Amino acid sequence: MVERAGTILYLDGVSVAFDGFKAIQNLSFVLKRGEMRAIIGPNGAGKTTMMDIVTGKTRPDEGDVYFNGTIDLTRHDEADIATLGIGRKFQKPTVFESLTVADNLSLALAAPRDVFSVLFARESSGRARRIDEILEIVRLGHRREHVAANLSHGQKQWLEIGMLLAQDPKLLLVDEPVAGMTDAETEETARLLREIAATHSVVVVEHDMHFVRELDVKVTCLHEGSVLSEGSLDHVSSDKRVIEVYLGR
Amino acid sequence: MRLAGPLTFAVAIILSLAGVAHSQEKPLREIVNSFAEARNFNQTEEIVAELGATGDPAVVPVLRALSEGDLHVRKSDNQVFIVSGRGKTLTIIDPLTGEMVGEEGKRALSKIRVNNGLRRLIRDTIGGLALGSPDPAARLRAARTLISNPDASSLPAIEAALEKETDPEVAAGMMRARAAAILVSERPDAEKSEAITAVAAISTQDALSLLLGFRGQATGELREQVDRAIARVERVQSYWAMAQNVWYGLSLGSVLLLAAIGLAITFGVMGVINMAHGEMVMIGAYVTFVVQEIIRTSAPWLFDWSLAIALPLAFLTAGAIGYALERGIIRFLYGRPLETLLATWGVSLILQQAVRTIFGPTNREVGSPSWMSGAFEIGQLTITWNRLYIVLFALAVFAVLLFVLNRTSFGLQMRAVTQNRRMAAAMGIRTPRVDAMTFALGSGVAGLAGVALSQIDNVSPNLGQGYIIDSFMVVVFGGVGNLWGTFVGALTLGIANKFLEPYAGAVLGKILVLVFIILFIQKRPRGLFALKGRAVEA
Amino acid sequence: MISGYLARNGLEGRIIATIVLILAAGVAVPVSNLVLDPSHPLHVPTYIVALLGKYLTYALLALALDLVWGFCGILSLGHGAFFALGGYAMGMYLMRQIGTRGVYGNPVMPDFMVFLNWKELPWYWHGFDQFWFAMVMVALVPGMLAFVFGWFAFRSRVTGVYLSIITQAMTYALMLAFFRNDMGFGGNNGLTDFKDILGFDVQADTTRAALFAASAVALAIGVIITARITGSHFGKLMIASRDAESRTRFLGYRPEMVKLFAFTVSAVMAGVAGALYVPQVGIINPGEFAPANSIEVVVWTAVGGRGTIIGPIIGALLVNGGKSWFTGVLPEFWLFALGGLFVFVTLFLPKGIVGTLQDHIGRRREKRQAEKAEEAEAASAAEPTPVGAE
Repeated sequence: MVERAGTILYLDGVSVAFDGFKAIQNLSFVLKRGEMRAIIGPNGAGKTTMMDIVTGKTRPDEGDVYFNGTIDLTRHDEADIATLGIGRKFQKPTVFESLTVADNLSLALAAPRDVFSVLFARESSGRARRIDEILEIVRLGHRREHVAANLSHGQKQWLEIGMLLAQDPKLLLVDEPVAGMTDAETEETARLLREIAATHSVVVVEHDMHFVRELDVKVTCLHEGSVLSEGSLDHVSSDKRVIEVYLGR
Repeated sequence: MRLAGPLTFAVAIILSLAGVAHSQEKPLREIVNSFAEARNFNQTEEIVAELGATGDPAVVPVLRALSEGDLHVRKSDNQVFIVSGRGKTLTIIDPLTGEMVGEEGKRALSKIRVNNGLRRLIRDTIGGLALGSPDPAARLRAARTLISNPDASSLPAIEAALEKETDPEVAAGMMRARAAAILVSERPDAEKSEAITAVAAISTQDALSLLLGFRGQATGELREQVDRAIARVERVQSYWAMAQNVWYGLSLGSVLLLAAIGLAITFGVMGVINMAHGEMVMIGAYVTFVVQEIIRTSAPWLFDWSLAIALPLAFLTAGAIGYALERGIIRFLYGRPLETLLATWGVSLILQQAVRTIFGPTNREVGSPSWMSGAFEIGQLTITWNRLYIVLFALAVFAVLLFVLNRTSFGLQMRAVTQNRRMAAAMGIRTPRVDAMTFALGSGVAGLAGVALSQIDNVSPNLGQGYIIDSFMVVVFGGVGNLWGTFVGALTLGIANKFLEPYAGAVLGKILVLVFIILFIQKRPRGLFALKGRAVEA
Repeated sequence: MISGYLARNGLEGRIIATIVLILAAGVAVPVSNLVLDPSHPLHVPTYIVALLGKYLTYALLALALDLVWGFCGILSLGHGAFFALGGYAMGMYLMRQIGTRGVYGNPVMPDFMVFLNWKELPWYWHGFDQFWFAMVMVALVPGMLAFVFGWFAFRSRVTGVYLSIITQAMTYALMLAFFRNDMGFGGNNGLTDFKDILGFDVQADTTRAALFAASAVALAIGVIITARITGSHFGKLMIASRDAESRTRFLGYRPEMVKLFAFTVSAVMAGVAGALYVPQVGIINPGEFAPANSIEVVVWTAVGGRGTIIGPIIGALLVNGGKSWFTGVLPEFWLFALGGLFVFVTLFLPKGIVGTLQDHIGRRREKRQAEKAEEAEAASAAEPTPVGAE
């Protein structure tokens, strides 16, 4: 049992089932403020479902989910949770394909989200400058006015990370950020995430062990919906049960 | 005068039933011919009573003809005949033997006039006569007629008949007729009290109106008893009414099931809304029409088999059109469900107009085979054969589809594609073929529905339009990917519709059901029996 | 002057041209009808004025549908209902204007109510003798219906074909309801035999011309509203929630509210179109609620090009022009043509006429940009820091 105070994300005894299939079983997971954590685990281990629960897409059947130590996330929907300060990057890059790169970022920029504020919002120079900064960070400056559909896979991943930055959340959930990237891109991404982690709390889900090693953070291994092992990458990867899950059977 | 007739009649019946030989009376023919001398309704009435008094069932056709205005006098010889036919020349028939005698000009005949009072007397007389009929079924019918038209004066006749009755079922019927008659008679209260119980046991609408009529004159304990009896009958009536509603609802539900189930299959497997589905139903109905036309002109003896012949043909025709539709249009639109909806709507317009051009815009006559016409009764339920067959047919179609989906390899492939198209494709299932066959199957089933609907609806180019929205509602309500959802959805909506109708009227009932579904889908956006999990969200 | 104002408000040149064109037609057609001699080659006969006026209201309806379908991805198969409700509100005003000139000469109640032996005007008919009240209702009734309906539907995340089907059920239910005599809207026959509007004879040439001009102005305003909404930050959000609804949620937006706003605005536009339609055709009956009508609107929009502002207008004009021509020349082939049009457009012209043209132009521009970008990339790749992106 860990004290909730001082945590940015706190899951305790969380379970969820789909038609009898237990996707998450009695999962407990704690992330301290400012921490970056990598989550690994084989397919179907419940990694994405866990993100769904945190971001309000799926309601847990039981268990506690707290953000920032005090906010009960099970009582909020996706939009609320996003405005509370949790940003999410999806496994499959999801950007707004028919909008330009700049428009994608502009939608993500922190600003009032209600219909009438958006309706009467004006593009200000402040916003444009912030967009330029982010474009610089994610190396998409030359693609500013291009339609997002025409970006390469890796560029879409980066654009999505850029959107996360624009949102300026307290906690970032990043699902498989380097899937389909070249080695050089992967390294670059790891460097970028470490940069971000300096000022944000981050949870990264990734299969790529090389990338996880690059991140150099505490690792949690999930299996069949609960935590199998936790610790440094070396500790986890030498855990017999983890080896069994990944290699055995 | 009103009472004179029935009284004479009653006395006469008693006499006849008591075994007084009518041989001593005038011969039948003489009495019948005496109609020729009747100068007014009173005299005719007396003759009717006299005929009734003979107790001879042979007079029944005479009386019936009289009541229907078919009894005529030949002016030349004052002989009485039953006539048939129309126009200037009529066929004349011997009233007692029923043999054709010949033809006679209309002017040579004069009709024996009847009024409503006479008709009532004739009806009762026939009823009384039938009480003495040698045929138990006829006696039972007579007893039932007397329950619906109770008459104190027929009481002695009933009681006499009851004494002689040996058949227990007929006796029970007569007991009830007697009880009904007692309620409108001057008998003592004790007998009436028994009669109330007996009448209440009948529990029909007739019994209820009888009791309600009696209530007005009842006092004291009798009044209380009749009130209780009325309450009881009303309760039983409401049960029967409910049963009748359930039946109507099942009947409507099975029609919806037939119309919707093909739609559910295509929607479930392919996520495609086929707006031309109603037209497949319509085509099935027109196939039935064509089959019947061919049979009528070239092989009339096959008519009773026409539906059996139409079924496979309708299935194949609609299925083939469905297959062509999938191969020609829909396969280019996968992943764009809204576009598919529009394209199939276009196809539905084309099919409608094509049928209108070929067969004309008016309703086409589709006949029912003899085994589908008529009705039968269970208690107070009236069930028509065609509705019953449609319910059974819908269940059979459902069972076959369930079998195809759950027990055949094609069904397995279909279910695999429903659950996870890409995975199924990766497993080597040829999804395009499954799609085409599924679409053909769904359309074929719609064709089958068309054959059934041709029996209860107008066969016109607009036939399908009437069902398409209801079918959607069933699919949406029941949920996708599970035939049982469609089953439950169809029957629920059918019954809900029929239960709302008595309170809200047919149109408002339908509106309420639509509003209910609109609200329901917002609570459960994927229907009653929805698949859950991550795969569905994608 | 107008174009200057519009340009200052950040509208594209194309849109401005459209607005100017619509307004010019709104002036030219009535003038030619009223001023020019009937024998003059440029004279527009009154029946054509009424016909074109009707088309303009259809164009506005198609534009309204485009706002929700093209930009928000909500395929409404029930927009005819909003159109008809607006029409009924106008029809009620026109009925009240008949006064004692009806067959029964009742000063307050319309003929059909007298015929049905009604003793007094139903409560919901009160106020419709006032033009301003009727006009408020023209916007309010469809708007409220859309708001309530959308509130339930969008909040429970009913999307895609499910949404389409329940919108169809909505208009179907309304049709059944309006067919009932005891609803108090004239049942089967609807509202007709109008005499005058704001004191002018509805049959008069001048009134027809004025109604045409009003329709043109309404359409122009519709274009401005649509362009302003879609061109704003909100428009981007609309497109974002059309393409990746759940993604906008994770950015903190509420796409259901976006849709609800667009749906309501669109319903009001449709209602206004219906209100202008009724005096020009002289009747409104429950047939306007028929699901088939609403689907026809979809094909106008699809033909012209959904997701564009000019497209639905062009589509509505073309398809209805075609319909008028067909029903005159080959009436039995119209349904074949319409059905074929549905299939053809979805298969071969999914973006419609305007959308396809824009794509064509857009692709050429894109190509030029891509070439430029490649040059830029080649230049940056030459720099020492590796920037892997492509």
